[in-house]
Amino acid sequence: MIARGLLLLWIAGWIVAAFLWAPLVPVLGETTRVLYFHIPAAWVTVLALGWSMVHSLLYLKRRNLEHDHQAAAAAEIGLLFCVVATVSGALWAKAMWGAYWNWDPRETSIFFLLLIYAAYLALRSAIDQPERRARLAAVYSGIAFVSVPFLIFVVPRIYFSLHPDPLINPRGKVDMDPRIRVVFFALLVGFTMLFFWVQSLRVRVARVEHRRQGSVA
Amino acid sequence: MRGDLVVMAVALLVWGLLFWYLVRLERRVADLEKR
Repeated sequence: MIARGLLLLWIAGWIVAAFLWAPLVPVLGETTRVLYFHIPAAWVTVLALGWSMVHSLLYLKRRNLEHDHQAAAAAEIGLLFCVVATVSGALWAKAMWGAYWNWDPRETSIFFLLLIYAAYLALRSAIDQPERRARLAAVYSGIAFVSVPFLIFVVPRIYFSLHPDPLINPRGKVDMDPRIRVVFFALLVGFTMLFFWVQSLRVRVARVEHRRQGSVA
Repeated sequence: MRGDLVVMAVALLVWGLLFWYLVRLERRVADLEKR
């Protein structure tokens, strides 16, 4: 419980710092604050989908349903954070570009990512038998993750994009004001901790569900 | 009232509610695990 309390204070404290301590980027103005939520949400999306893929491959190797619980939970949470990144990005786009949606390469990429992982959850919900569901979902997840680095990192760099430069610029440096950088990385850590907490909760729920299904059957 | 302070208050409220929900959920899951 102490770790939970620390996480509460950590994120709350850095939210306050984001508004009262970190300066605004001149071009972005008040919308600078979206950066502290949008990029960490996108980071957690990639982390969660990667976690899902790793456990999917582990399931195919070991055939242990624990890995299936981990993979499914991570995909659900990844999709949730992907929605947060999409919505916060759309709000940012409205403020900066004048429209919520422009079919910019990054927006188009994240839209496809949402569809791919929504299909993963649809596939899972369509199969009742746990081992069969786990096997098919693991194969799908392993293939689906190939699209993640392609859609997130490659496509937006191939085509002209309105989206700001990547966080790490072409010279390999993080181009940010020092105070913005501190708040940004602190919230990145906070979001990552939040992901692992929600992930552990979702996996525990999946274990209980599996145990109950086993006792009913 | 400054708009940015209102947004900060909303962000803190959302985080507080999410945290409270997760803590309650964790207790509920712990109860289910004991049964």
